[in-house]
Amino acid sequence: MKNVVIAGYARSPFHFAKKGALARVRPDDLAAQVIAALVERSKIDPKDIEDVIVGCAIPEGEQGLNIGRIVGFLAHLPLSVAGATVNRFCGSSMQAIHIAAGSIQLGAGEAFICAGVESMTRVPMTGFNPLLNPGLAKDYPEAYISMGQTAENVARKYQVTRTDQQELAVKSHKKAASAQAAGKFKDEIVPIKAKDGTVDQDGCIRPDTTQEALSALQPAFDAQGSVTAATSSPLTDGAAAVLVATEDYAKRNNLPVLARLKSIAVAGCAPEIMGIGPVPAAQKALKRAGLAIKDIDIVEINEAFASQAIACMRELAIDEAKANLDGGAIALGHPLGATGARITGKAASLLAREGKRYALATQCIGGGQGIATILERG
Amino acid sequence: MAIGKVAVIGSGVMGGGIAAHVANAGLPVLLLDIVPPGAKSRNIVAEQAIERLLKTDPAPLMHRDAARLITPGNLEDDLAKLADCDWIVEAVLEKLEVKHATYAKIEAARKPGSIVSSNTSTIPLRDLVAGMPESFQRDFLITHFFNPPRYMRLLEIVAGPKTRAEAVRELDAFCDLRLGKGVIHAKDTPGFIANRIGGMWIQSALQAAFDLGLTVEEADAIMGRPFGMPRTGVFGLLDLVGIDLTPQVAASMQRSLPKDDPYIRLYKDRPLIAKMIADGYTGRKGKGGFYRLTRTATGRVREAIDLATGQYRPVTEPTLASIAERKPEALLRHADRGGQYARRVLAVTLAYAAALVPEIADTIVAVDEAMRWGYTWKYGPFELIDRIGVDNVLALLAAEKIAVPPLLKQAAGKSFYRTADGTLQYLALGGSYAPVERRPGVLLLEDVKRRAKPVARNGSASLWDVGDGVLCLEFHSKMNALDNDSMAMLAKGLDTVKKSDGAFKAMVVYNEADNFSVGANVGLALFAVNVALWPFVEAGMAEGQNTYKAVKYAPFPVVAAPAGMALGGGCEILLHSAAVQAHAESYIGLVETGVGVVPGWGGCKEMVTRHVTNPKRPGGPMPPLMQAFETIALAKVSHSAAEARDTLMLRASDGITMNRDRLLADAKAKALELARNYQPPKPVPLNLPGPTGAAALKLGVNDLVRQGKATAYDAVVAEKLAEVLSGGDADITEETSEDQLLALERRAFLALLHEPKTLARIEHMLETGKPLRN
Repeated sequence: MKNVVIAGYARSPFHFAKKGALARVRPDDLAAQVIAALVERSKIDPKDIEDVIVGCAIPEGEQGLNIGRIVGFLAHLPLSVAGATVNRFCGSSMQAIHIAAGSIQLGAGEAFICAGVESMTRVPMTGFNPLLNPGLAKDYPEAYISMGQTAENVARKYQVTRTDQQELAVKSHKKAASAQAAGKFKDEIVPIKAKDGTVDQDGCIRPDTTQEALSALQPAFDAQGSVTAATSSPLTDGAAAVLVATEDYAKRNNLPVLARLKSIAVAGCAPEIMGIGPVPAAQKALKRAGLAIKDIDIVEINEAFASQAIACMRELAIDEAKANLDGGAIALGHPLGATGARITGKAASLLAREGKRYALATQCIGGGQGIATILERG
Repeated sequence: MAIGKVAVIGSGVMGGGIAAHVANAGLPVLLLDIVPPGAKSRNIVAEQAIERLLKTDPAPLMHRDAARLITPGNLEDDLAKLADCDWIVEAVLEKLEVKHATYAKIEAARKPGSIVSSNTSTIPLRDLVAGMPESFQRDFLITHFFNPPRYMRLLEIVAGPKTRAEAVRELDAFCDLRLGKGVIHAKDTPGFIANRIGGMWIQSALQAAFDLGLTVEEADAIMGRPFGMPRTGVFGLLDLVGIDLTPQVAASMQRSLPKDDPYIRLYKDRPLIAKMIADGYTGRKGKGGFYRLTRTATGRVREAIDLATGQYRPVTEPTLASIAERKPEALLRHADRGGQYARRVLAVTLAYAAALVPEIADTIVAVDEAMRWGYTWKYGPFELIDRIGVDNVLALLAAEKIAVPPLLKQAAGKSFYRTADGTLQYLALGGSYAPVERRPGVLLLEDVKRRAKPVARNGSASLWDVGDGVLCLEFHSKMNALDNDSMAMLAKGLDTVKKSDGAFKAMVVYNEADNFSVGANVGLALFAVNVALWPFVEAGMAEGQNTYKAVKYAPFPVVAAPAGMALGGGCEILLHSAAVQAHAESYIGLVETGVGVVPGWGGCKEMVTRHVTNPKRPGGPMPPLMQAFETIALAKVSHSAAEARDTLMLRASDGITMNRDRLLADAKAKALELARNYQPPKPVPLNLPGPTGAAALKLGVNDLVRQGKATAYDAVVAEKLAEVLSGGDADITEETSEDQLLALERRAFLALLHEPKTLARIEHMLETGKPLRN
């Protein structure tokens, strides 16, 4: 087995869809700017890149036409660098990393750009032309269940109260706000050229959020439910990318080795409680790594919804103090296809920053899945 | 010089409303106001006014986009822009020195020959122009709009002795044609026409209620609906416009009217009103008024003030026997204090109106129109006198010891209006009758009906020959609900034109009721279902579909000309017409889901077709279906004709008429224009996604139910609608015909009529006029 490493991580600022500063930026331009910056910052010779694999949850419209290839052109990568689009909904760009790792193991390349992007402004979450299989929709409607409903189902099944959810949301905003204030996002954020100037700060963080303020909100998905807009990740525009390479290649070319991939996994679960997907996925990955949860020092768990993030942390016995040190998706935003690359790249850079050994990055996926990556440093 | 650009100076309620209405007419308008001290943005006052326009309900703008036509500015930096404006409206504070200072600025900046007008309601024109240069006086007049300018039809124009006749003509034509106003030429007398008489009506009603010891509920029940006056009555009306306006209007009247004017003699300060204003009880804009809503433990309670004690108490239904009288004349004869109240208020008001012609207006017609359009009286004072009977009114004045004005004396034994030689005539000053003149280009069905007999008629609809080869179908059932007779007359109309040998070239569907049509008569459907007359229901469905289809494919154009509500089956006529000429105040929508059914006379078919064939639509099979689905499932009704274009219920080629009185003429012109080389449309088969699309449409509905935004039964109805719109069992590779879509409509409609909850919705609508959310 070759050692596969994360040798660079960059992302765009994340902003609210529709009303945010990136609303007028095309997703292909957004991803291309992040990729170009990652290439430049890592000082990799672009000719060595085998493939650009771009994760995208709704790959149509401006995100269609194999955006993986389009962004290569836009980022002025050599024509010899290939490009693909991969879709595993919210797990898309973590999947891109997994595909690169698999290719490397087969000797099919030494360096890959694994990116993700979503403009939830410019491509709606259901796509422009949702065309459901009518038979499946009738016999097994769970297959097409809306994400908000799954968050309610998880909250009920795992008894996550509204207060618990709000507490996580408040903390997520506090952590993100203090990281932002301390300049901790500076290294990862690529300033994006937009029509109205350069965007270099995240736009979704609300530092002053309180339990009281959140208690006033109406439930967003179920009049009788507990999940509100504030305990759900916002619709977000953003892109993220990591450089995945063999450890040999990275060292040979003086690339910054952030962490090594220790194990990976995907797992399915019932679609109506898709938020619990990280549990079976992380359990598989831990087993494959020969580790127990207590061995993990850093956790990046996607906060698609507070209810599912809490349920997963409880089921996996994750120590809250180790999770989402700089805030999670409720505060930062969740541009579907981009999140996997963000949390994997973030986990790798946190290992470096905090001087720790093992990290787990994991997230839930619509349709009932989970995906997980375990990283090791040193 | 045509008016192409307008400036409004002063962005308060009136100035903002006037600017909005100019924008409604599609013209760019500059809105200027002061720069407040310490302002960050120098245009802040006008900018905030525009923001307010977008939030006000009822909306001053007919379409949000019209706000873009309004450019905010300020009176320090932007005066030079007045040089581009053809008409400059001043709507600043009602203070002479403020107006004069504004005029000096306008005069220095405006281009020669531009028209300047003031929206003053209290300052005489002679005072406004005093000391102003000749050039200004020649171009100056008063344009007195009523609040809110979009909805109130009256516009009083007052010209001065030096005002150019051409300026008056130009502005008159602009306000009539482009702004759709009912323009009345008034004289430079206090309060002009409407406020002079309206002010007396309000004051006499107020004073009499105090003097005769009526409750506000009793007073409003009498001095409202029974006489065709606003159902709010006077106290409710004062709450609406602001009670603090009362002493201001009185003060201005006292300044300008002679001491022996009946208004001055009648007016009395009432300490209760002064106290209410001082305490902030100025009406709906304040803490409350003569009425208020109070929150109690058991919910919100409507209260009324006791005029004697000044204490609020819960509103009580008035029990006076006089209120039960159906005829105004009988109410006026009633012995109780309600009758006494009606006698006193009407005697004073009607005598006052009769005494003021020709002082404030040349004809009684102008007075009646002013009160109808400015105070929403159903009948002007002279029309009301006719309804009561001139001689009864003369007796009333004698009993109330009020001197009889000469005009009224002259009318003894006669009426103020009559129909003779097929025309409406009014009693002119000399005592002889003169025809009521319509403005050039105005065509009213009511005049056609005076002249001729209908081509055909039944209980619900008639056919009229409106000239130049155009046949007009008029609905006249209750609320213009459509029944078998309406449908039969529509079919007969088509047949009449077809068999006329070219005598008729086109048909317009038009009427002069408040509402074009509120849709199918659901009461009939309910009755048929209750007695299980299913064949009758099915026949009605098929008849409606076939008749509307015949409208669409007629070998001559059918032009529908709605005003007011065009809902359900009424909207479906529009959708099948070759063209629509809509009054700007048309409220159009397919509201069938509100009574638990889907549009069944081709509404679904037409909406799908329009959305799918819309060249501007986004790609793929779903976006057009999603748009049609949203519009119909949510029973969206446009708040104007302009807004109906957003939902494709009106096409870009359909016309909008601003002036209600010009709608028939415009519709007729459109019909005749289309009739030249007319080719009926060809059916367009559509490729629809079938169950695949229906599944996608249903997906969102279930989420709405969970969110509490729709009921479980809303979802049942919406799912049926989804199946119709997506083409039933269609596949995207096959073509779905119009007839297949019509069959789907029928199936869904009948299936839903079998559902008890649909029947409950229909019953509730019939009983309350409101949709049931079950």
